[in-house]
Amino acid sequence: MELIALLVLPVLTGLLCLVTRSPRTWERLNLLVFGVLALLAFALGADVLAHGPVTALAGFLRADALSALVIGFTAFVALVCAIYAVGYFRHDLRAGRITPAQLRRYYVLTPLFVGVMLLVPLADNLGVMWVAAEGTTLASVLLVTFYNQKTSFEAGWKYIIIGSVGISLALFGTVLTYYSAVGVLGADTQHGMNWSVLVVIAGEFDPKAMRLAFILVLLGYGTKAGLAPMHTWKPDAYAEAPVPTAALLGAGFINCAFYGIVRFDVLAEKCLGHDFPGQLLAGFGLASILVAAPFVLAQRNFRRLLAYSSIEHAGIMVAALGFGGRLGALGAMLHMCFHAVTKPLMFFCAGNVQQHFGTPYFWKIRGVIRTLPWTAGLFLLATLAVTGTPPFSLFQSEFTALSAALAADRGWAALLFLAGVVTIFAGFLVHMTKLNLGLPRAGAPARAAECPWKLTAMSLVAAVVVILGVWLPGPLYQLIQQTTRIIGGAS
Amino acid sequence: MNTALSSDIASQLIALLAALMLVVQLLLVVQRMLLTSIRLFALQSLFLAGIAGVVAFFHGAFHVYVVVVLTLIGKVLFLPWLLDRQVRRMRIAQEIEPLVNFPTSMLICGGLTLLGYIVARPFTSLERLGNNTLAVAIALVLTGFFLMINRLKAITQVLALLTVENGVMLAAVALTTYGMPLVVELGIFFDVLVGVMILGILVYRIRETFASMDTSKLSQLKG
Repeated sequence: MELIALLVLPVLTGLLCLVTRSPRTWERLNLLVFGVLALLAFALGADVLAHGPVTALAGFLRADALSALVIGFTAFVALVCAIYAVGYFRHDLRAGRITPAQLRRYYVLTPLFVGVMLLVPLADNLGVMWVAAEGTTLASVLLVTFYNQKTSFEAGWKYIIIGSVGISLALFGTVLTYYSAVGVLGADTQHGMNWSVLVVIAGEFDPKAMRLAFILVLLGYGTKAGLAPMHTWKPDAYAEAPVPTAALLGAGFINCAFYGIVRFDVLAEKCLGHDFPGQLLAGFGLASILVAAPFVLAQRNFRRLLAYSSIEHAGIMVAALGFGGRLGALGAMLHMCFHAVTKPLMFFCAGNVQQHFGTPYFWKIRGVIRTLPWTAGLFLLATLAVTGTPPFSLFQSEFTALSAALAADRGWAALLFLAGVVTIFAGFLVHMTKLNLGLPRAGAPARAAECPWKLTAMSLVAAVVVILGVWLPGPLYQLIQQTTRIIGGAS
Repeated sequence: MNTALSSDIASQLIALLAALMLVVQLLLVVQRMLLTSIRLFALQSLFLAGIAGVVAFFHGAFHVYVVVVLTLIGKVLFLPWLLDRQVRRMRIAQEIEPLVNFPTSMLICGGLTLLGYIVARPFTSLERLGNNTLAVAIALVLTGFFLMINRLKAITQVLALLTVENGVMLAAVALTTYGMPLVVELGIFFDVLVGVMILGILVYRIRETFASMDTSKLSQLKG
């Protein structure tokens, strides 16, 4: 039941927003549905922990620990984004930057986007998972072009074209996986594409087909996750989309794309052993970290900076998975969770600064702490958290990933990993201290009261970030442990 | 009818239709008129529907007939009609000069087709129908990507994307004997339809905002 509700409720909300007229109603409907989704996701996590995988609709939907984890964090991100969005768009409306008709587009498409996004981890059928992944692009592209500027259309065009090209490769990979399974299964057109069926027999797949399939799937879902060199859509889309959408893409959808990679990695490792998929994953992961580093150092626009940080973090997750072993899987999963709770804070603070100063460029802004003290304080906190400074939780996951590399005897990989992460840390620190500390420029906007909606969303995220830094709740850790067993090949 | 004979006829027919799809793709690469390009895409989709029809008929796989109908309605009739209308409304007849001229494009696509055959070679030992078809499918995907990079008009890029999709669907129907589960086929169909409509909206807005459909004008965002 809860599985169906997770999918149906957001779609219904989107339709309701389509037929209602007042912005207040849209806000309330969105807040309500994302609140309910968060509760449902929480219940699902507890359910999976207590009773194992949950299925619905005769096995069409299936949630194991890995799905529950992705759903839980997606629901969390969606909820805080909904709270932030209220304040953010009221500001835009007051400033005359958008019309109520545009606002409706946001409140209709966002629940649809989240609903399709939740189908990715819920679908047992790998083909349906692909359909959902492509659906997220379609549901979000008109959100990326939200502001109807020249640059928004450019970003939207790149987003949908690069995304569709990538995802068509993933479809080819999915077809080949199915093909390599048909030889074992016979022509079972009912369940032959179900992951839970495939994982049992993956050892007998045709290895030649599976090898090609894994490359294609990694390229495809890697495009959606923003791995280098398929990352070029990301800075444009993140910088042009409204902040709540960018946060949802950067902290929520990235996990769904990574989820697709993990599912196929399990199949590939069972069929081909660890070496081939592991080296590919580690290669793409490290490339993403290293490609992101110089762009972080030389970045002039803080919205685009966040995209490069997201490319780095996608790289870390994939690299950790590629280093392999229990440690690698643990590092990847921890990183996925911790990144999802930390990243929204970065987006929200960046959004506040951009709205208040009216520009996303570093060189035009100094001393945010004098004008928006709360935002600046949280921005610095988020900077430390997102770059993996102890005691924040991303330090633990990055450290686990590094240990996995060393445990697998990949000294060079560990070195490159460390070099990339440290460079990005330095780049962030320089940019963010300059932006937030010091004296404001002459003619900068005066000190203003902070919007309570935005502040609520930000402090909620900040509280979770700080708490997770020192204490990982037992049930959450058990869930993560279960996912590492799934990645290890236990179905 | 003898089953061995009928399956022989089936694979011959499929190989023929797949080869025709590739021929259409090559014509598309050297076609400058937008309306003709759209018709060529419709023709290619018709051949794809034919392949699905052959598979459905010779294997008695009922649900593949649904794929035939969806392909006919969606890719042979509806999408070409939609794109056709859009091109007429925008009053643009021709693609501007492509990045690589046509003779060179033809050579490159020949190379890509060869690459398709090389990649597909390890699979030819497998006793399943459509061994050549995988090579053609890979060639369609690769030349589709080339077409996308080589052209500047947004509409042509959408067409290129659709031919890539045709290639993948060819692989799906020819490789797996019975095609994919129906729910997946329906989902993909829906995605393609919605995708092209959204791309259509974007093309329209880009043309309104930039007074042009050249994607080379989309170059403000950097770094």
